[in-house]
Amino acid sequence: MVIEMKNIIKSFGSNMVLKDVSLKLNAGEICALIGENGAGKSTLMNILGGVYKMNSGSIFIDGKKVDFNTPAESLKSGIAFIHQELNLINDLPIYENMFLGREIKNKRNILDLEKMIHETEQIFNQMNVNLNPKTMVRDLDASYKQIVEICRAMMMKASIVIMDEPTTSLTKPEIDRVFKMMRTLRDHNVGIIFISHKLGEVMEICQRYLVLRDGYLVAQGNISEVTTDGLARFMVGYDVRTKSLSRNKTIGDEVLRVENLTDNKNYANISFSVKKGEILGVTGLLGDGRSELFQSIFGARNISSGKIYIDGKETKIYSTIQALNRGIGYLPRNRKENGIIKDMDIIENASIVTWPKFAKKGVIDRGHHNNVFKEQVKALKIKIGSITDSINSLSGGNQQKMVLAKWLSAGPKLLILDNPTQGVDVGAKEDIYDIILKLADENIAIVVLSSEAQEIIRICDRALVMYHGTIQGEVSKTTMNEHDIMRLATGGKLDQVREVKKA
Amino acid sequence: MNNTTIKNRKRFFEYFKYKWTTEPLFSTAIALLIMIIVQTAILGFGYDSFGDWFISWLNNWINILRNNAGIGIMALGMTFVIISGGIDLSIGSTMVAIGAVIMMLIDSGPKGILANMGIKGVPSCIIAIIIGLILGQVLGTIIGLLITKGNIPPFIATLGAMKIFRSVTQQFMQGYNPKVPSIFLEIANIKIGKFMLMPIIYWMLIAYIFNFISKRTIFGRQVIAVGSNEKTARLSGVNVEKVKTLVYTIMGFLVTITAVIQVSRIGSMDFANAGSGNEMDAIAAVVVGGTSMSGGRGSIIGTVLGTLIIAVMNNLLNLFGVPPFLREAFKGLIMVCAVLLQRKERA
Repeated sequence: MVIEMKNIIKSFGSNMVLKDVSLKLNAGEICALIGENGAGKSTLMNILGGVYKMNSGSIFIDGKKVDFNTPAESLKSGIAFIHQELNLINDLPIYENMFLGREIKNKRNILDLEKMIHETEQIFNQMNVNLNPKTMVRDLDASYKQIVEICRAMMMKASIVIMDEPTTSLTKPEIDRVFKMMRTLRDHNVGIIFISHKLGEVMEICQRYLVLRDGYLVAQGNISEVTTDGLARFMVGYDVRTKSLSRNKTIGDEVLRVENLTDNKNYANISFSVKKGEILGVTGLLGDGRSELFQSIFGARNISSGKIYIDGKETKIYSTIQALNRGIGYLPRNRKENGIIKDMDIIENASIVTWPKFAKKGVIDRGHHNNVFKEQVKALKIKIGSITDSINSLSGGNQQKMVLAKWLSAGPKLLILDNPTQGVDVGAKEDIYDIILKLADENIAIVVLSSEAQEIIRICDRALVMYHGTIQGEVSKTTMNEHDIMRLATGGKLDQVREVKKA
Repeated sequence: MNNTTIKNRKRFFEYFKYKWTTEPLFSTAIALLIMIIVQTAILGFGYDSFGDWFISWLNNWINILRNNAGIGIMALGMTFVIISGGIDLSIGSTMVAIGAVIMMLIDSGPKGILANMGIKGVPSCIIAIIIGLILGQVLGTIIGLLITKGNIPPFIATLGAMKIFRSVTQQFMQGYNPKVPSIFLEIANIKIGKFMLMPIIYWMLIAYIFNFISKRTIFGRQVIAVGSNEKTARLSGVNVEKVKTLVYTIMGFLVTITAVIQVSRIGSMDFANAGSGNEMDAIAAVVVGGTSMSGGRGSIIGTVLGTLIIAVMNNLLNLFGVPPFLREAFKGLIMVCAVLLQRKERA
């Protein structure tokens, strides 16, 4: 079976995600689909999986034109999509998950459990999987859940399986287990599209690669003819060098220092410090634990061991209120879920942090808030109608600036910005960079969490690169480049990078 | 019909449509208005003079408001509870429990606790009310802590409390009915002019205060923030647990006030049945008033209107002579229709 996607174009609103992508996929091979965050990988696969509809373009299976409107139609044509957040129901046993939506019934219209268990066992035998079909899915570890999904795809006679970053939450032995499974699948003449950020894994398991960048297919070929360094270069691209924003640095005393911070789950043994007027970048790939780490420092998550020092004094932070009172501000990622309150108007969203500060005996001083916010509106160039309009009337960029304004009016000495330019258009992005630099000039210590290497390079004085919950390395302003960051973020070491370059 | 009238009419409909889709309370207010018109029309037959009619109309209204003041007050607290994302099923039982405590304290019979300590008259009433208010808030806080610290869903925590409070009260009272001294009856029954307005005044006063709390204070806005998006609220430095606990504390406070009014109005209490179903009536009033059951959206004024809608509807059922067994059906129908008409956002 051969799948061809031709001239695929897809945009969300005014945001063009895929700009004319054409590619070819074969059965019986594992093909890597790589690219930076936002390059369009997931969108492309969601089109193939029938989740999104493309604006234009066509898909051919074995030369025949097909049209997918729903995931079910795509599945019927032999394309199985294993999503990153797995589609398994934890409270059902494996065999029921295997037959979800296609349950086998007997003559009296009652579920035929024996038959379902038997067929599941058959698939497991075929795939060399040692699992009891009656086990509850919640009792499986993450790798076995992946394996159950793979077996389900196998059972549905899928000829192409799309795996969206299957290894992000897995440990090394678990990854090996999934890889073994993928090889078995390949040997059954099934094609696999392996979406991943981890170039080492790509080199290990894949035969072919496709690289997307900014909505274009920029490179493809055989894995045997390329190095990880080469792949990283394809992902980043030569031409997209943007000047880093320079400023007069006056870095002062240390504001935050953490030592051996561990939560036994998302990150371990984290030590670093930030100084006044410094912009520290923290980057890495999805699932590297940086958001969880800084949520812990902000008191929104628990820490199991380690120490936090603020202004040189050891501090315990158990709640966000304590963090706020110690001068920490936190702009969360996923604005819709964590940043705004949709039932409240703009001014209330912008002042929720400072209500206690400006209130008189518990009564909110609206006049005061309005004045503070009006200043912020001017300083941050926020475009709003009336301050009592609904928060939903603002564009993404302006909403993000509003969330920023909410923290600025609290006057923090340490500002943590988690994905500050997420879902923000280019113009607003530049505005936000300017604001961040200005704040650093005003002697605020700033931590920028971002998965965009370019963003880190452009605004940060130095950056920590995280990999699987640990700090893999540190890069400084003068030597920072996307290759080094990508190398560290995919689990490599900095000296290796240098060696490759010399060679 | 000339062009301007058509234009005006068109403009009116557009304005109406705009209001209907943008103002959550608009449909509620319209519904209430229609019901009041119907009610007035029904009353409007068979009177000698306008004066007679007006007195009858006024008396009818005072009756409606007074009979619903208790539910109305509890619905105000329920508004905060529901906006914060919770629910309180225990209020009817809590009211009975606190009513029993207050009645035991002020009992003028041989078992009266305060009377046996030599405290009588006004001081005994004041002490009983203060103890009642403290107890109500303590019970509310316990429920709140079970929900926030114990991580029990509000439905379960308050369902448990509902069972416990009523059962324990009945065990303790065992059919004993304390005598309420006449001075206590004055609280709700003292007349202003010719009318017994006190429960209505308490209700409106509390509604005014709660509207202010909801709109202008940190706490009131934090309740909305927590109910609308708990994550954002927490990440903005709002003490989510404290806010969630406090709404139940306040609920307990209002339940006590209702208990005082009920005991004072009637002078006795049926510990087995009094207040049962009150929680559902209060929830109905809140929901009809436009508050979202999933939290975040709602208003005190809406709840007052919602309480009035249910009250006027009860009155209408009376006036129409609907058989008693069918009344609950109408109540249910009206409630469902009211919510059906409300502007709802789909996710």
